[in-house]
Amino acid sequence: MNKLKAIFEPLRMLDKRTMTILLVAEAALALLVWQLSGGGLIPTPDKVLKAIGTIFTMPDFIDNLFASITLTVKGMLISIVIALIISYLSIVPFFQPIARFVIKCRYLTLTGLIFLFTLLTQNGGQLKLSLLIFGIVPFFVTTLLGVIADINKQEFELCTTLRMNSWQSLWEVIIVGRLDQVFEVMRQNFAIAWLMITSVEGLSMSQGGLGVMLIKANKYVQLDIVFGTLVIIFALGIFFDFILGLFRHWLFPYTKLHTR
Amino acid sequence: MNAYSKNKVLLSAENIHLQYGEKKILRDVNFKIHDIVREGVHQGQVVALIGRSGIGKTQLFKTLSGLIQPTEGTVRIGEDQHPVKAGQVGIVPQNYILFNHRTIYRNLKIGLDNADVKLTEEEKKRIIEDYAQTFELTEHLNKYPAQLSGGQRQRVSIIQQVLTGNKFILLDEPFSGLDILMVDKVIQLLLKVSTLSEHNTLIIVSHDIENATAVADTVWILGNEDGKAGATIKKEYDLCELGLAWQPEIRADRKFVELISEIKKQL
Repeated sequence: MNKLKAIFEPLRMLDKRTMTILLVAEAALALLVWQLSGGGLIPTPDKVLKAIGTIFTMPDFIDNLFASITLTVKGMLISIVIALIISYLSIVPFFQPIARFVIKCRYLTLTGLIFLFTLLTQNGGQLKLSLLIFGIVPFFVTTLLGVIADINKQEFELCTTLRMNSWQSLWEVIIVGRLDQVFEVMRQNFAIAWLMITSVEGLSMSQGGLGVMLIKANKYVQLDIVFGTLVIIFALGIFFDFILGLFRHWLFPYTKLHTR
Repeated sequence: MNAYSKNKVLLSAENIHLQYGEKKILRDVNFKIHDIVREGVHQGQVVALIGRSGIGKTQLFKTLSGLIQPTEGTVRIGEDQHPVKAGQVGIVPQNYILFNHRTIYRNLKIGLDNADVKLTEEEKKRIIEDYAQTFELTEHLNKYPAQLSGGQRQRVSIIQQVLTGNKFILLDEPFSGLDILMVDKVIQLLLKVSTLSEHNTLIIVSHDIENATAVADTVWILGNEDGKAGATIKKEYDLCELGLAWQPEIRADRKFVELISEIKKQL
């Protein structure tokens, strides 16, 4: 009874076992509600599960999957490089207005820029990649500038008392000292990239991708395939997030530690 | 036991004023710290800067270290009395800031990497291991700062500054939040650092009057004078002259107890 009360109590910390039970129970309940209320427009979980099986047997599924993953990874890597350059340069006063402009670009809609990017790029692949980068970079830079702004001034004072010049301080405190946070920002932005991938893939369908699969299934009202593809995209996103989380702890072991 | 002499000036402040807009923080701060010489000991200098919270201790602290430029006046350091530059005075902040991404060994090494004397990697390793042994940190060298207790972090923070070659080290509230046993350990640590080299000079900024006075050879009282804006050094106590310096059991001494109550009245 007490445990039941505890799960409804604000700020209550649950042990790992109780939390896992709660998670599984809520997921099972959601699936049950979905199964019982479905059957109309939304396919039920058993139909979605069958559709996933069908998707796996589709001859072009692997090609589409790799097309999406390749585009996302490529877009992410280029975005990281661009965003890091802009963020690090923002410390130099001359480049601050540029960084500020880039973060405001979050409010520019991609749809309005498709025509411009079509003219600027040479093929569909470049168009998708450039739109993806343009979509990610402003968010990436915004978070990175937040990380830099949160740095305790005393860290720079420590560098000064340790006789470092401003370039050494930049390297020690902002670049190396915040690499773990950059990795975390990258992990968060991977989710945005993964979310955007299906939208931009529709712009050049000849190259395939999970987004193309979604568009085609939508066109022929194959809702079970649509939901099956969505589940695959969702599961892959969670898997990548988990892998990047593991990587972060492996590369930066101190992130797991808490100050005593 | 207490035979000593005071020689050259090592650190001085001339007519320091600090003002932000209309607000005067520091006014007419003047002092001189002399090199204390005692036979058979590398006797460094320990000054306690005592004042109430918010009086401007941290601002004076940063001015002395060259991190803040005073509105007027000059801080001079060294035997040649050159104006202080940021990086020539070490700082141990209250929260013992360290580089969290570096192990303790690498945190200490960064002090040596930027020291005046250029050393080989092997020499650096030997020096770090020597200091770690002296200050009971050997088993923690491969740990990260987050794995250390407050007291251990404080030791690393102090040694880091010593290894850089800074003879002048400012410590912000080194007794803050420590239990009585830890306070005694910190006092031992400070005394050890102050006697590592003849010119080592520690300035302890604290509102813990008793402990700061127990470890010091000079006490400055930072406070406001009636009708005048901005804090200044209202009073200086030369504990060497009063016969109250360098005595581990000084807290029980009647003269010391009287001095503490006099200092309290000054605040």
